[in-house]
Amino acid sequence: MNILLMLLPISLVLLGLAIAAFAWAVRKGQFDDLDTPALDILDDAPPKQREDARAREGDDGA
Amino acid sequence: MDIPVVPCHHCGEPVGDAARRVDAGGRAFCCEGCAAAAAWIEDADLGSYYRLRSASANRVQADRLDLASWDRAELQAEHSRAIDGGREIVLLTDGMRCAACAWLIDRALARETGVLDTTANAVTGRIRIAWDPARTHLSALLHRLAMLGYRPYLATGDAREQARLSERRRWLLRLGVAGLGSLQAMMLAEALYLDVNATMPLPTRDLFRWLTFLVSTPVVFYSGWPFLAGMARELRARHVGMDTLIASSTLLAYVASLVETIRGGTHVWYDAAVMFVFLLLAARMLEQRARNVATAQVDALARAQPVFAIRERDDGTRESVPPSALRVADVVCVPAGEGVPADGVLLDAAADFEEALLTGESRPVRRHAGETVYAGTTCRERPARLRVTATGTATRLSQLAELVDRAQGHRPPLAQLADRVGRHFVVSLLVLAVCVYIGWRMYQPERAFEVTLALLVISCPCALSLSVPAVLAAAHGALARCGVLATRPEALDTLARATDVVFDKTGTLSDGRPARVAVEVFDDLDADAATRIVAALEKDSGHPIATAFADVDARAWAQAVVARPGQGVEGDVDGRHWRFGRADWAAHRADDGGLWLGDGTHGVARFTLNERPREDAAIAIRALRAQGLDIHLASGDSEGAVQRLAHVLGIASTLARQSPEDKLARVRQLQSEGRIVAMVGDGLNDAPVLAGADVSIAMGEGAPLAQRAADLVATGPSLLRIADAVRVARLSRRLVKQNLAWSAGYNLLAVPLAAAGLVTPWIAALGMAVSSLVVTLNALRLARTSTEMAA
Repeated sequence: MNILLMLLPISLVLLGLAIAAFAWAVRKGQFDDLDTPALDILDDAPPKQREDARAREGDDGA
Repeated sequence: MDIPVVPCHHCGEPVGDAARRVDAGGRAFCCEGCAAAAAWIEDADLGSYYRLRSASANRVQADRLDLASWDRAELQAEHSRAIDGGREIVLLTDGMRCAACAWLIDRALARETGVLDTTANAVTGRIRIAWDPARTHLSALLHRLAMLGYRPYLATGDAREQARLSERRRWLLRLGVAGLGSLQAMMLAEALYLDVNATMPLPTRDLFRWLTFLVSTPVVFYSGWPFLAGMARELRARHVGMDTLIASSTLLAYVASLVETIRGGTHVWYDAAVMFVFLLLAARMLEQRARNVATAQVDALARAQPVFAIRERDDGTRESVPPSALRVADVVCVPAGEGVPADGVLLDAAADFEEALLTGESRPVRRHAGETVYAGTTCRERPARLRVTATGTATRLSQLAELVDRAQGHRPPLAQLADRVGRHFVVSLLVLAVCVYIGWRMYQPERAFEVTLALLVISCPCALSLSVPAVLAAAHGALARCGVLATRPEALDTLARATDVVFDKTGTLSDGRPARVAVEVFDDLDADAATRIVAALEKDSGHPIATAFADVDARAWAQAVVARPGQGVEGDVDGRHWRFGRADWAAHRADDGGLWLGDGTHGVARFTLNERPREDAAIAIRALRAQGLDIHLASGDSEGAVQRLAHVLGIASTLARQSPEDKLARVRQLQSEGRIVAMVGDGLNDAPVLAGADVSIAMGEGAPLAQRAADLVATGPSLLRIADAVRVARLSRRLVKQNLAWSAGYNLLAVPLAAAGLVTPWIAALGMAVSSLVVTLNALRLARTSTEMAA
């Protein structure tokens, strides 16, 4: 049963890590909106267009 | 050529051919605003919005709003905060109907120069924008929003917005800690449970117990803090309620386990304590989330106020000041399209005001010089000047809001079934536990503690306290699916017991669109010919009245049509000049409320227009009557109009020309006859009545303040939702009763067994878990039934 002496601290450390990760995600606002991000994957390649739009606006400004 | 009525491509409102605009792709639009928004969306390659959305967009107002005041330093100091590389503001909007709207806003704003980051949240109706003031003005970004149909409103101020957000995050964190902690505690407890023959060495067993203690402590005290704080509050108020029940049983299980751990007893119950906290926290969050959807937007929009007021100095020059700086007798200028900042008397020419916030009526009302206009209304078309008569809390808007709050405070307290049962249960259980302990102490002292604990655990009112939240959570979900949001927890219970439904006519039963009721002719023209002339005139006017003539084939085209605001339209049809509108303008006679067709000196036909009942009104009323409810109609409209509508819908009990006070008196009278009244309305004038009725339902298109006063808000215009809501409410009440009966029956069986010392604590824990499971599964039946209903 000596293995327990190793496994129990590991499980406690993992628990601490899980809670820390969850707290980080909550603080970063990952759970603030659960509906909108689901739509992002349904649309094709919007980030690229966003870059394009930025670039175009940059050209206009120049 | 008869073009059928089609929905607008952007906002989904029906478009008659009179006002239609069709773009190159053959899509119809109701107005310039919607067409421009859709064109921009297509241009920006965001056309997927139309594919992704699950609800129609808001109708876009074509007029350009003046948003320059959002750029002012005073406003930004109060409502935004500095972040790395720019500033950040949280604002409210009224048009976000589904997640696709939030998606569209995110994408649209990301395209603007100078935007650092945005998040739009469709649930709370809030948009967070981080921008770089050096590269763009906030107003430019807000113009983009307004142009897409999302009108910006000031939120409650930066500090309160941050507090709201961090409160929500704290709850989530509590739930996460409870979930992870109870998983660990269960795992360790499982090892202890599996040691049936007590073969585990004592030091190992104690190590496991201390570890379980370690992981349970944050769950009980951090995650369970809302319950502990609730118990403290309830005890201070000398009112034993749900929180006392939850907190005391959690603490009992926790403290008893700790005692057993220290003295090396036979059993610990940490797992019961943490599971209890976790399950109840989850149930409470589900319930809250459903309610937040309804209140977050409603509440904030009701408090929305104009950003700045323009005050006229004595020398005629103007300055802009915050509304709070206005004093009585100041002269205020209200630009067209802006909100009125304070109550006041109109000084110059007549102007139109949209009083939707006060009355739920979206059509502008004309006010003449000397008449009072109210804070919260919107000035349309023409700027107005007023002399302030009341500001701040003295305005009619504030008074009505206060009336609502007071009426809610005086509402007869609804004794909640579970609360009542639970209170007696917990008190008598504690008394019983003491008796059992004393009894065993005398009979067999060494077993006294164990038996008492088994009694407390097996009767641990888990099932009892879960039975109501579980059903409520399922019911809120079912209601949301059929388009009704409950803003107060007791609403469902009362709705299930309602015996009478009182409707307010305007906007609730009628569709707000006029229809022809009667045509009288006074000349050689026959009625059909007169109708055709009017149809030709109205065809391209874009006027609301045009819908009343949309079904008429005009056969002729009107030339040189000019709309005269407040008077009517004029134009040439078949070579003759016609006017159609108010009697004094079109027919040169005294205004009699009807609409006249004439040439300016002589009238040839008089039209009576009336609002039609909504298409689903008759079905909805039949459905409500089939549920055994009595239907009443109490309206502020004239006798004739009310009677006509009541006749069409088959409502026997009607009252016309009712003031809000009359309506409230009518409700009180019904209540004094022992009836339970559900009120359906949509205007703020109805707000006191909504608050005074036992349970109230506000229609989603109505005034935000009326929604704040209501217990339930229907998110769409369909009246059938009311019948659905009643059905869900009754079903959930039945389920609550079943659950209470089950958990009471279980306790009646288990408590004597435990008191007799026949139950070991681990059987007690199993029994408790099974009874909770049964209760939860029973509640989930509600979700299944409602999907069947929707199908």
